[in-house]
Amino acid sequence: MTLRYRIRWTKVARTRFISARDLTSVWERSLRRADLPIAYSEGFTPHAKVSFPDALPVGVSSTGEYAELTFAAPIAPASDLAALSAALPAGMDITTYLEVPDGAPKLAKMLRVTLWELAWPPVDQTELTALLTTRSEELLAADHAEVIRHRPDGDRTIDVRPAVLALAATTRPGTNTRDAHTVLRAVLRNDGPTVRPTDLHAALSRGDVAEPHAVLRRVQGAHVPEGVRDALGGEVELLVPDVDAEAA
Amino acid sequence: MLGTAPASLAPITPARGQRAPYRRPGANAQPVPSCWSALEPLLPRVRKPAQYVGGEHNQRITAWDAVQTRWLLCYPDTYEIGQPNQGIQILYELLNERSTAMAERAYAPWTDLEELQRQHGIPTFSLETHRPLWAFDVFGVTLPHELGHTNLLNLLDLGAVPHRSADRTVEDPIVLVGGHAAFNPEPLAPFIDAAVMGDGEQVTLELDEVVRRFKLEREPGGPLSEQDDAARHELLRRIAAVEGVYVPAFYTARYHDDGRLSRTVATEPGVPALVPKRTIQDLEAWPYPRQQIVPLTETVHERFSVEIFRGCTRGCRFCQAGMITRPVRERRPETVRQLVEEGVADTGFNEVGLLSLSSADHSAIGPIARELADTYEGSTTSLSLPSTRVDAFNVTLSNELARNGRRTGLTFAPEAGSERLRAVINKMVSEEDLLRTAETAFAEGWRHIKLYFMVGLPTETDEDVLAIAQLGIRVYEVARRYGRGNKLTLSVGGFVPKPHTPFQWAAQDPPEEIRRKLSLIRHAIKEHRGIKVRTNDPEEGVIEGLLARGDRRVAAVVERAWQLGARFDGWHEMPTLQLWRRALAETGVALDWYAYRERDQREALPWDHLDSGLDADWLWEDWQDAQSEQQLDDCRWSPCYDCGVCPGLSIEHDTGYTGGFALPVLPSGLGGSTGGSTELPSTPERYASGP
Repeated sequence: MTLRYRIRWTKVARTRFISARDLTSVWERSLRRADLPIAYSEGFTPHAKVSFPDALPVGVSSTGEYAELTFAAPIAPASDLAALSAALPAGMDITTYLEVPDGAPKLAKMLRVTLWELAWPPVDQTELTALLTTRSEELLAADHAEVIRHRPDGDRTIDVRPAVLALAATTRPGTNTRDAHTVLRAVLRNDGPTVRPTDLHAALSRGDVAEPHAVLRRVQGAHVPEGVRDALGGEVELLVPDVDAEAA
Repeated sequence: MLGTAPASLAPITPARGQRAPYRRPGANAQPVPSCWSALEPLLPRVRKPAQYVGGEHNQRITAWDAVQTRWLLCYPDTYEIGQPNQGIQILYELLNERSTAMAERAYAPWTDLEELQRQHGIPTFSLETHRPLWAFDVFGVTLPHELGHTNLLNLLDLGAVPHRSADRTVEDPIVLVGGHAAFNPEPLAPFIDAAVMGDGEQVTLELDEVVRRFKLEREPGGPLSEQDDAARHELLRRIAAVEGVYVPAFYTARYHDDGRLSRTVATEPGVPALVPKRTIQDLEAWPYPRQQIVPLTETVHERFSVEIFRGCTRGCRFCQAGMITRPVRERRPETVRQLVEEGVADTGFNEVGLLSLSSADHSAIGPIARELADTYEGSTTSLSLPSTRVDAFNVTLSNELARNGRRTGLTFAPEAGSERLRAVINKMVSEEDLLRTAETAFAEGWRHIKLYFMVGLPTETDEDVLAIAQLGIRVYEVARRYGRGNKLTLSVGGFVPKPHTPFQWAAQDPPEEIRRKLSLIRHAIKEHRGIKVRTNDPEEGVIEGLLARGDRRVAAVVERAWQLGARFDGWHEMPTLQLWRRALAETGVALDWYAYRERDQREALPWDHLDSGLDADWLWEDWQDAQSEQQLDDCRWSPCYDCGVCPGLSIEHDTGYTGGFALPVLPSGLGGSTGGSTELPSTPERYASGP
């Protein structure tokens, strides 16, 4: 009987400002509130066995977070994980779970790529979508796309190009014409040197595109021609959002 | 640049004169705009943004139009420091339980966000719904110490509320302070509307009722609907009529020609000449806070805390908290247990704190600790207990609480190095006690002892200061006998005299003198590399000293320092002392006169009209006793010495000791215990026999 579960969870709204450092205790306290028998590490300062494949930058939203939970005793996953989801702060929800069979590949190995979504406010959307489409084609056609990443400990030059598998700029119509805005979706590799949405923006912007006002990690998993297949649930999120379906 | 968000958002703060509609009771209120949509885009640009978002477990959100009174409760420091504060959480829960009231919380934004808020016109906001300060009826601010004063002024100003009480009108919130530093609110007199003295539970609910009735009378057709200026005065009069509430505007300070205070007198008919503190007799009737906030980001104390008793009668002469919170009122062991068990399950915290001024002194602490340790044995829930006692019992208790964890560090507070000076401050610990306690601790596997001391105490000589080092060296010798890796830390702070204590007349040491004394200690232990010395910057006590015993003339300095940019005066990162020195120079206020000068009995003190319950003559006698090194026993287990608190309140200590019960543990004293049993005592009869 397995005691390990993999889950997909969201980190949106206010919870997008919780740092990776604080997240451990948020999960541990939620597990305690839901009264689930999470396993603890050995040693003097035991930690709840909740592991995250990587850290999401503070301020970035996500519907594509994953974690692996190890329990000390069997649970009833459907009801217990729903209870855990309810105990998590508003904005954090468990959307999928999967029992982990013995010998399963590591979770990080299943999260090969990320589908990112960058969104701009409802201004200049026609021109912006056109510009980003052109810039995306140029980037994909190039061998290198170097940008400078500014950090407190000094600037670093990053080549964005190797990480980029696919790009698509779209205008999302919104609920009324005033809401229509530009969305850029990007499939980025998770292996190799880390390339963040901010680096991608730097590569496309060339100084004349404002920073996106919202960044979302949509889903992680395997790259397929239409987009990205969720590592746990298996459904495919499209590279080019189906705006008609979203509207409906 | 393409995709740039429109720069200007609709203004959040309406002009003065147009805010009344938002403040009306119930469904008559105009909806109040939230600051969230303006704030959210700025948060990625500031440090630790999670402190500004709210959304914690156990926050309470109430519809604006569902209630008649709206409170914004504030701890005037960062969320990280202020969130765990128990006082705010108690009042938050009490007010939110009332169907006609709501309370939200606010903390001071760090300077990075403040700058952005001012740029973007975002006022001081509540955490829960990000509503602006100016829309609330009461801004209730706790002042646990003096170093939040500039933050208070800044929060008002940022919240679009005039920082001077005289400039506020009936459309502004009432600015109410409470907490320990509110026992001398004179340096804030021009800025606050009212100060609450003592326990806040009952008085807060009474004030809420006053505000509620007033608001209903202000509604169209009501008796106060027409008059604006007179209405605010009427509200302040009604607030001043609540027992334990001080309205500074109704009093004036008179001075002698030489600058000394002559007295503070009431100028408004009907207000009390002496404002008494409030005291709740039965802690059992107030089992709060039950549903404690669980932070989403790091704070200084992340645990479920239960106050096991309020008050302390150890009589340490430097300790303001011990003096102003008398008498002792204990919570029953079964209530403590219930609060802990329900609270741990509800919050998910993995640490429990049993709080009080000296938790090992609860008459049933042994059984409380043992039962909780039993309950959580083998779990990941740990127990902690702040205690300043120096005795073997404290080690036994700590062993019990550490069943689940490591025996790492134990803290003891002898406070002074020499036996003589400990008699002066009435900290009844002998060197023999301390060494025996250290022996017990290291023998039972503890690895690290931390000792708390102060320098700058009254009558202190260099010999007394060096005694800290000598005592440290002796304890360290004990430590080394039980393991080469064992450690000792000496934590040494500078003493700041506080109002309503026997040391309120004493001179404070200037920072240069504190620094000299600290270096004496460092020099004396420099051969002993295993002893670590921790000190604060001596300069930090300067502002605290000025404000602790300042009078109304010091308010000009507070205002000027704030205008010059002083904020977060308690933070190392914010060296504001230069700003304060400039403010002192510009306002002509003499720091030396306020901080470094000894007072005599005839001089009026700025808090003489505020009654902490302590008899003025008793305080003076105790100050004289201090100077002649006379000790005074704890009145929980020795005869009453008439400090004045109990008869004044017509209440008494509420402990297992009352009713003739024999002591489970003796105070560690110079005159008594000889080691003796380190077994945990059993439940006192009064508790064992049930309610």
